[in-house]
Amino acid sequence: MTATTETTRPTASALADAHLTAGGILRSEWVKLLTLRSTWWCLGVIVALTAGIPLLISLAIGDAQALPGDAGADFGYYNWMNATVLPVGFSVLAAAVLGCLVITGEYGTGMIRSTMTAAPGRLGALLAKALVIGAVIFVASFVALVIGAALSGAVLGAKGYTIDPGDGRVWVTLLSAAGYPALVAVFSVGVGAIIRNSAGAIASVLGLLLVVPTILQLVGALLKADWAFDVGAFLPSSLGTTMYTPVIDLGGMSFSQGSVELAPWSAALAMLAWAVAALAGGAALVKRRDV
Amino acid sequence: MIEATHLTKRYGAKTAVDDASFTVRPGIVTGFLGPNGAGKSTTMRMIVGLDRPSSGAVTLNGTRYAELKAPLREVGVLLDAKAVHPGRSARGHLLALAATHGIPRSRVDEVIHLTGLDAVAGKRVKGFSLGMGQRLGIAAALLGDPATLILDEPVNGLDPEGVIWVRKLARHLASEGRTVFLSSHLMSEMAQTADHIIVLGRGRVIADAPVAEIVASATGQSAVRVRSPHADRLAAAIAGENGTATADASGLTVTGIPAERIGELAARDGLVLHELTPVAGSLEDAYLALTQDEVEYHAGGEAA
Repeated sequence: MTATTETTRPTASALADAHLTAGGILRSEWVKLLTLRSTWWCLGVIVALTAGIPLLISLAIGDAQALPGDAGADFGYYNWMNATVLPVGFSVLAAAVLGCLVITGEYGTGMIRSTMTAAPGRLGALLAKALVIGAVIFVASFVALVIGAALSGAVLGAKGYTIDPGDGRVWVTLLSAAGYPALVAVFSVGVGAIIRNSAGAIASVLGLLLVVPTILQLVGALLKADWAFDVGAFLPSSLGTTMYTPVIDLGGMSFSQGSVELAPWSAALAMLAWAVAALAGGAALVKRRDV
Repeated sequence: MIEATHLTKRYGAKTAVDDASFTVRPGIVTGFLGPNGAGKSTTMRMIVGLDRPSSGAVTLNGTRYAELKAPLREVGVLLDAKAVHPGRSARGHLLALAATHGIPRSRVDEVIHLTGLDAVAGKRVKGFSLGMGQRLGIAAALLGDPATLILDEPVNGLDPEGVIWVRKLARHLASEGRTVFLSSHLMSEMAQTADHIIVLGRGRVIADAPVAEIVASATGQSAVRVRSPHADRLAAAIAGENGTATADASGLTVTGIPAERIGELAARDGLVLHELTPVAGSLEDAYLALTQDEVEYHAGGEAA
């Protein structure tokens, strides 16, 4: 117990120019993210899955067929990257959970009141949360993907596959595979801001990622409804797959259902639109509602 | 300086704060008193921009909270001990708040020391007692060395030592020239701490005066205890002067006429008095008198 007769004034005058800044709000969200254990659990799951699964897959893949020139390079790239990006379908779920928790965790505990009194503009704090979680998920995913690619590349190279890190397509694939979970995390921040409840927000986002695509697939297959496949192509999970799945020329063969066929970059733009829309919806409500 | 003008907050059909206008001045401790549910917390949330007023406005030194350049430097607020993520350490919580304003780490350590949290600063808030949580909330409020402090029920859950600590802290902060606005539903607490009291009942300001004045207004309606072997004749004499005498086992309780006049009546009629005691109204009585019609939830009864 400290006697209160001592001054409550700061001993240093460093407080004199302290004021609210955009950079300060970003730093605050960064500190908040790193000082919670749930963050480290989610990031740990993402890194372990993303770096570990490609190694297991590459060990299970058989030896390469001997193919000449470009075909050999395509074949190597295709198998190597497929093995590397496969875990993104799982790690994105951890990114979604973390994205929701970043904001619903504050509503659930009352922390949001501290956040919004320190940064009463409200939107600054929301945007800072989205930026910080997006950047952290992107960097963690990318680093884990590079580790996974290095491990699986070493194994596949020994099995006779053409492994070429100098191939530009490899880096585009890895960056896209890191971008997708980052955008899903930003989307989840928006959904979290709208729903304000951890269980509700996580269930909504995971439902959108896991359940809705299956329902549309069923509707499309049972009713022979092409529209269901067309809508399905614009769901985040499909957009993600389109963004990062390695594509090579299969001589005119196509596996797509329905009439929509998106290029990877347009899928990325559509995924960005999901994230921006959720964030805009969340921002409008956060600004209007009482905290 | 906090200035509320016609501040009103409605939730649907329910009016939580009803046309409240008041000023909280620097250099003194202003108590914000009212029964539970009177609208104290809602008012405080409106001051710091968490709740939007349905009508009216509240400013801090002339500026709305959301427009302040450095909110934490201007206003320190303890809304309730639960405005903290329990998974974060006390230091982590304070560092995150400090980061928004570029407040240095040394100040975080200072407020940790000031509130006596040194030993637990690295521990997660999850394991904190109510009292430690309250201290952390006060540490957060002091972080920016603010000119105005708003503390909602700061002694809630504190042990007696903690209560005295908060009391001394509030007085000390006011003596440094700050504006200190302190809510409580306990009159006795206010009596010990505040210089000025604003009483809120059912969302309305029902008194706004220095502590002494509020006590004085209550003493105007004070009673006199009288014991006399001639109680019946005395009661009749009192009734003749428009006073009211209520008999009980130990004597009479007289209201409506002062003790001096009762003594004169007894002397005129030759009645013996064994006791003649003016019962001074306490702050507690004043509070009860003020709020008796304004309490929303009476114990064991229907809503008033």
